[in-house]
Amino acid sequence: MITTNTIASIPEIADDSRREIVRLNNVCKFYGQDDTLVKALDDVSFVIKEGEYCAIMGASGSGKSTCMNIIGCLDSSTSGQYFLDEQDVSDMEERDLAKVRNLKIGFIFQQYHLLPQLSAMENVMLPMAYANIRPKEQKERAAAALERVAMGHRLNNRPNQMSGGQQQRVAIARAIVNNPVMLLADEPTGALDSHTTAEVMELFGELNASGITVVMVTHEADVARNSHRIIWFRDGQIIHDRLSPSDLNHVI
Amino acid sequence: MDTWESFRMAGKTLAANRLRSTLTMLGIIIGNASVILMVGIGQGAQKYAAEQFQSLGTDVIFVITGTDNARRNVIAPPNRLVLADAEAIATQVPTVRSVAAQINGSELAIAGNNTKRATLIGTTDTYAIVRNAEVSAGRFFNEEDIKRNARVVTVGAAIAKELFPQGTAIGQTVRMRGTSYEVIGVMSEKGAFLGTNQDDTIFMPITTMSSRLTGKTSPYGVAVAVINVSATSNDNVDAAQFQISNLLRLRHRTSDINADDTFTIRTQQDALAIVGNITGALTIMLAAIAGISLLVGGIGIMNIMLVSVTERTSEIGLRKAIGASPSDILTQFTIEAVILSLLGGAIGTGIGVGGILLIAAVSPLQAGVSIGAITLAVGVSGGIGLFFGIFPARQAARLDPIVALRSI
Repeated sequence: MITTNTIASIPEIADDSRREIVRLNNVCKFYGQDDTLVKALDDVSFVIKEGEYCAIMGASGSGKSTCMNIIGCLDSSTSGQYFLDEQDVSDMEERDLAKVRNLKIGFIFQQYHLLPQLSAMENVMLPMAYANIRPKEQKERAAAALERVAMGHRLNNRPNQMSGGQQQRVAIARAIVNNPVMLLADEPTGALDSHTTAEVMELFGELNASGITVVMVTHEADVARNSHRIIWFRDGQIIHDRLSPSDLNHVI
Repeated sequence: MDTWESFRMAGKTLAANRLRSTLTMLGIIIGNASVILMVGIGQGAQKYAAEQFQSLGTDVIFVITGTDNARRNVIAPPNRLVLADAEAIATQVPTVRSVAAQINGSELAIAGNNTKRATLIGTTDTYAIVRNAEVSAGRFFNEEDIKRNARVVTVGAAIAKELFPQGTAIGQTVRMRGTSYEVIGVMSEKGAFLGTNQDDTIFMPITTMSSRLTGKTSPYGVAVAVINVSATSNDNVDAAQFQISNLLRLRHRTSDINADDTFTIRTQQDALAIVGNITGALTIMLAAIAGISLLVGGIGIMNIMLVSVTERTSEIGLRKAIGASPSDILTQFTIEAVILSLLGGAIGTGIGVGGILLIAAVSPLQAGVSIGAITLAVGVSGGIGLFFGIFPARQAARLDPIVALRSI
């Protein structure tokens, strides 16, 4: 099937009973004014449902990063509504947004962003510390999360004692430890070699198979191919929204 | 994040940057140590001065011949105090315990091949009582010596040592202006105080001194420079002063109520108060200088914390992304600054106290470890940490997580 470059509508999803994790309704994000107005996001609407594995793609400046920041509650939109886990977060205060990020979103970054002065265990405990979870429970859950990403043998290692792939695994453990409704990965394999990339992608697949919603921003087609749905941005608008990545070659 | 967790986290972060943390604390350490040391030294000096005065007796009143004005004015000779005035004070003022008139001089003292310029004090036998002076050997001259114009002297400890280096001074002879005097006693060592050194002084009966050396007499008898008076108690000093003043005005016929005194009365308590004021001001000045260094230390903390915020932008971004609220970040950075300044304060206090103990051990200055200074210094350094830590912490708390995450 050949698709032309039209604004995609919200895709039909077979099982409609699933919870909506992300719902953007006519979201716009503008920078500057008048002559210098930049439309980073121009009337964007889409829904991501529970259990989806979704890649957001686009060239740099396409709006995919802005979209990720808004989905991640790191930025607010100029207009439109954003529901995260069926809760309107469009006009929340920074303090409440911090709580939402803490409990509902697991962030994974290109540069891992582990704190160098803390061990793997302590890094994974950090989100729970901000959630005011008892230290004993923090330790148990952190150990379990690290076990899940196959890092159970490196609990007390500092980030500088680990390889890039291992660091990213610890970062993934940190992202899932508070049982978020969504993993939000920003170029998760950008700093990894192809072998490690494959390992991390396998881990993403496993996590998604266990029911975790995964949203991944990437510009690498090979990485995006691992997902089940690709949202493609250009000039602040969605130009493709495909449930299957089979026709990805055509889009690129 | 609860406070205990925040403290642990801050401790970890500071321990991870040991060099930077130490350098940051250095300012506070120096500031704190200097505040405690300076206040300690100031108070030690105050105490030392007070003790010196105490050793002379705080119940002492000096009646000095002439007034400040009269002494400056050479044309109008002062209406001099005489020995009879001293006797009158002793017999007629009820709040007076003891009186010792005094003439001052300076003579070259010779004993064998040894010579020494000595301060000469001619006085009465009561001097030892009034001025808390004690003899270590022999005796002070007595009433009998004064009556007989006896050629006897009691010498200061330093004089005895220099004029008679090989042995006992008692029974030996000292020559001054061609006359020989027998040494009958040696004063115990007292040390210098405010320019006069009792150890360099030779004491002789006032009658002997006026007839043989000074020759200063007035129509009313032996002229004296100072009358040393001790009151019956510290509480009676003011009363004694008033009564002496009245008595002397009567005796010197200054009955006109508006006329100036022909004498000056100073009490040891006045002098003590003056010295206390001076040393108190000194202490405040020292503390103020030290306080400035504490302030500089605080600014040092702010400086490093600001650099630290810039350096740790991505850490702040990450913390915000995984759920730290602005107040969590504010707390974290403030606690780091407070820990640095409190720890620096504690180390500085240790150094300050150590320094004070060292000074007390090697010098006569009994520098006191003042709890007040420690409380102040540690309180101030904690406050400085809070005050100078808040600004960088607010900068950190305000960082936009997107911007913060982008900077790697």
